[in-house]
Amino acid sequence: MSEEVKQNSYWKSLKELSRNEEYEKFLHREFPENASEMTDQVSRRSFLRVMGASIALAGFAACRRPAQKILPYSAMPENMVLGEPQFYATGMPFQDTVTGLLAENNEGRPTKIEGNELHPSSSGRTNIYHQAAILGLYDPDRSRAIHHNGERASREEFIDFVREHFSDGNRRIAFVSGENSSPTLSRLRNQAESAYPNAQWVNWEAFGEENSLEGARMAYGQRLRTVPHFDRASVILSLDDDFMNPWAHKNSVINAKELNEGRQVRSVEDRMSRLYMVESNFSNTGSMADHRLRLKASEIETFARALAERLSRSISGLNAFSSVNNRFTDHDWVETVAADLLSHRSESLVTAGTFQGAELHAIVAAINLALGNIGQTLTLHELPHDSGRTSVEGLRFLTESLQAGEIDTVILLGTNPVFNAPSDLGFPSALEQAGTVIHLSDYIDETSRLATWHIPHAHFLEAWGDGLGFGGHRSVIQPQIAPLHDGWSDIELLHLIVDREWSDGYDLVRETWQSFYPGNFEQQWRRILHDGIDPESGFEPVSVSLNGNFSSEIQSGGTDPVQGIEITIRPHSTIFDGRFANNGWLMELPDPMTKITWDNVALMSPATARDLGISVERGLSERDTPVIRIEADGETIEIAAWVQPGHADNSISLTAGFGRRNAGRVGNGVGVDVYPLRTTDSMYIQSASVTVTGQSYEIACVQDHHSLEGRALIRKATLEEYRENPDFASFENVHGYPIPGLKEGIAEGGDRPISLFSPQQFPEHEPQWGMAIDLNSCFGCGVCTIACQAENNIPVIGKREVTRRRIMHWIRTDRYYEGDADNPKALHQPVPCMHCDMAPCEQVCPVAATTQSEDGINQMTYNRCIGTRYCSNNCPFKVRRFNFFNYTKEYLTTGDDPEIIQMAMNPDVTIRFRGVMEKCTYCVQRLHRAKLATRRETGSKKPADGTVETACQQACPANAISFGDLTDPESHVTRLKRNERNYVMLEELNVRPRTSYLARLNNPNPELTQ
Amino acid sequence: MAQVFPKWVDSIPKRLLIGIIIVLNGVVFGIWYFFSPEFTHMGYAPEQPVPFSHKQHVSVLGLDCQYCHTQVFESRHANIPGTQTCMNCHGQLATESEALAPVRESSDTGSAIEWIRVYDLPDYAYFNHSAHVNVGVGCESCHGRVDRMDVVFQATPMSMSWCLDCHREPEKHVRPVDQVTEMGYNVANQLETGRDLVAKHNINAPLYCQSCHY
Repeated sequence: MSEEVKQNSYWKSLKELSRNEEYEKFLHREFPENASEMTDQVSRRSFLRVMGASIALAGFAACRRPAQKILPYSAMPENMVLGEPQFYATGMPFQDTVTGLLAENNEGRPTKIEGNELHPSSSGRTNIYHQAAILGLYDPDRSRAIHHNGERASREEFIDFVREHFSDGNRRIAFVSGENSSPTLSRLRNQAESAYPNAQWVNWEAFGEENSLEGARMAYGQRLRTVPHFDRASVILSLDDDFMNPWAHKNSVINAKELNEGRQVRSVEDRMSRLYMVESNFSNTGSMADHRLRLKASEIETFARALAERLSRSISGLNAFSSVNNRFTDHDWVETVAADLLSHRSESLVTAGTFQGAELHAIVAAINLALGNIGQTLTLHELPHDSGRTSVEGLRFLTESLQAGEIDTVILLGTNPVFNAPSDLGFPSALEQAGTVIHLSDYIDETSRLATWHIPHAHFLEAWGDGLGFGGHRSVIQPQIAPLHDGWSDIELLHLIVDREWSDGYDLVRETWQSFYPGNFEQQWRRILHDGIDPESGFEPVSVSLNGNFSSEIQSGGTDPVQGIEITIRPHSTIFDGRFANNGWLMELPDPMTKITWDNVALMSPATARDLGISVERGLSERDTPVIRIEADGETIEIAAWVQPGHADNSISLTAGFGRRNAGRVGNGVGVDVYPLRTTDSMYIQSASVTVTGQSYEIACVQDHHSLEGRALIRKATLEEYRENPDFASFENVHGYPIPGLKEGIAEGGDRPISLFSPQQFPEHEPQWGMAIDLNSCFGCGVCTIACQAENNIPVIGKREVTRRRIMHWIRTDRYYEGDADNPKALHQPVPCMHCDMAPCEQVCPVAATTQSEDGINQMTYNRCIGTRYCSNNCPFKVRRFNFFNYTKEYLTTGDDPEIIQMAMNPDVTIRFRGVMEKCTYCVQRLHRAKLATRRETGSKKPADGTVETACQQACPANAISFGDLTDPESHVTRLKRNERNYVMLEELNVRPRTSYLARLNNPNPELTQ
Repeated sequence: MAQVFPKWVDSIPKRLLIGIIIVLNGVVFGIWYFFSPEFTHMGYAPEQPVPFSHKQHVSVLGLDCQYCHTQVFESRHANIPGTQTCMNCHGQLATESEALAPVRESSDTGSAIEWIRVYDLPDYAYFNHSAHVNVGVGCESCHGRVDRMDVVFQATPMSMSWCLDCHREPEKHVRPVDQVTEMGYNVANQLETGRDLVAKHNINAPLYCQSCHY
């Protein structure tokens, strides 16, 4: 066994690494002190408050009387089988992309989002925003009525106002919209601009793609979208591009899928692409990288220039950089990465982060062009809806026009600039200069408060719409339900203003699409509705050459690295720019790297923390997180400091979107608003001064929960080591001795360790379910957790309950660090219930509420559970979750609209009540449905491989989770379990889990030691 | 001094104790036995918004169960029919009947008729009609002689032990699939035919918790 394969150096937190006494005490209590009480009135109230929109997904307890009613349809719809879900294609718009989705409908209400396999932006997979959209739809805090100056008004009043107000064609109107690719919106926009010649149109996104477009303009002379194809690349260099995460890249689902395709190893012959990552914060993509270099965000451009210079020595097209000489010129990374890129011309790919400056994008664009990657590993496309200017330019122009009194009417289609505009613009006060402000939005938010008219926005699952996928595929957004709160879509409002007559979104979208299919519209339309997409559409690739004045553009521009401490401002990983702040599923989803819920923090490296006088080893427990004061451009915020191992020194990462004032009951006042630090000159990176305030703050972090004491839970090797020793992940190779009891077991004629218990006999007519999770694919995004939450009616419990370690997620993703605290590697491991054949939980339940089923599921019978929690205590994997409170019922008695919340529930899954244990069921409701369907068709109870998927498996963009019948020797999961990399956690316990893991592989460059 | 209490008084505590034990046992037994679904739920016959008589429609007119409960072979619900199904006939028959006023109203306005659920399982118990009728569990086995009911009432206890009686010994209850809607099905050699059907349909009625509770 080689030394490198030793598996004992993983750790989850700095506290664990330092192993102090307090930490030991913390670990040995299963739940922290006072965990079983909910004493203080204040916290109880705030708990009820956060239960707000989300927690309260609840149904009624079973009771015999009062009588339940059955309400049949008056006229039964065709093709509907009551009790069987129906799936319809739709799509989720996000900025200017639409991702094709399928919505599961139960008796006419959408309850779950799944990917659309036919859609090239989804490929059947989803991200966290897609999965959480269901909760957004049923959020009771959504705006429910038109408001005029803060008072409820009727639809007719508004329509009358529009007719009167817009009869004057000379109105000086400003339309403000998010980035939007809808062909119908474009059509109406053209109409609006001709109907109101004095109108101007502004696109505002707080975190858009503009720098990438601008970089392309500098390099190629035209603004083009870069579409990467990671599956075609052998060597990938990412410069601060967390391209697998939805907050950082609009095509994250496909990026994750394609990267995984290029790195999937099933046998020793398989090849694997190599990923280099240069970044300041530790991202998920960084944790997948074979090599990771931590640099200040403002230094990355300097690094890219040095790399371009090194490449220019061997290839043409980079002459602009031939005179560059900076501190990275002799860096080993520049030399090694350049050599690797050069030996993989036209099969390499360099990407730049969305939140880096346009210059970096331009340098990267020139490098890709010089390496011959364009048309191979990436394609370039013109955007038909591109406004030609950056968001900030647009907003600045609008603000100045407002201040000059040149605008009398502002119409905002769904954005929230009062909250997220750069602070130096003074947008809120400028907006007050406008005579009339009409704001269409989901919530009565910060901007709505300043609006004359507020119009409730229809959710995308409620209204007709259209848009383009990231690759330009025309998609239809099909509503699944009539608007719950009489909301309007942006096209309906815009049409009303243009035409001063009401028209339904359906007619508007059809009218647009008629021009695409002049011959056989009806036939095409029906096919597109069914598929959700026109597969023949899509952007044409553009071929480019280097811009003539590239040298002068790139030399005159360019930013010097920030001296001293820099801060970076990025959207938050779960709530993005603040638009999902009232979504409890996303709020409570632990950040994929820090594992913090319900807050944003200032991330910094251990060295920077020490410099600032923050103790790294002690004092960073969750309860007393030190608060720092950050000052930039005269603006100050105070925010909790958090040490992020692997972060670049002298750099602090902040995430925006928190600190909402008018988000709703879930999002109001949670976290710190960092937008005040953001100015038009420094949207993403700026220098700042930082001081420690001496105050402390409590953070709800799930990092230390359920620590597994450094056992060999994660196994990994390099590709080289795997080829030499394919069995590296076996118990014997890792530990150096065989599994205890195996010899005796074999002596008794078995192939497994001997056991005191006689194993259960599983009948032959039942399938035997099993799961395999490929750690080589998982990058820790957390979509499995949200998909599981949506599928299994899992409650949101609020920050206070999370600090008491009561988080209810059935599948968690453990994040382990390996190596030195300043520059570790990170790995992710999703942990659902292992469904042990010899489950320790089953042996201790006094009432037999948890037992083994005939198809191998460790079943939890809620109606039998009496809440002793012995099972949780005895579970070696700590996957059981206990309902300390009636997380759902509380809300039903105090809430204002329980019926809305009940609609979000999956009718196939019981709502659990107080005092009951729960955990992953392998989505037993889906298994039963598949078994029954198979049985009706074939008489067998064993569904064909691939016909049944668990919710987590179905959502995973990286295809990390495989699930199926272990009695089928050719099923995908059985083949994976035969792979040499397959191992189970804690094999020495002989509990025989059904869930196993495939060890992680890396493909490092032998030339590079770091 | 003469004895105040006669000698038999000595046995009072003993008798009292025995009496209390008997009474307490009786109470426990009574609750255990009589507070079961067999007594609390069986016979429940709520008044429905439309006095629909199954007896009239099944026995007299000879409708099959599936004329209305169309999806019972495909779905977990034996669906209550849409108003349109009623109007197939009642568009022409008894068009002035007062009892049918809610049906006509529903048909005209599109609003639903609010039927009261008779067979109401707890929310943590998942029952699937199609799983049962497709292997030959007759409607009658759970719902009783619906063809004799003017007002539908709960004919069986629907308790877990009652479910398990059949899951343990399905041969005592199954019938050919084409006769599941038959009322009054009876064969002399039920055990024999039942065993054949169990083998033919490969019936392995599950007994583990999660076959019904999840």
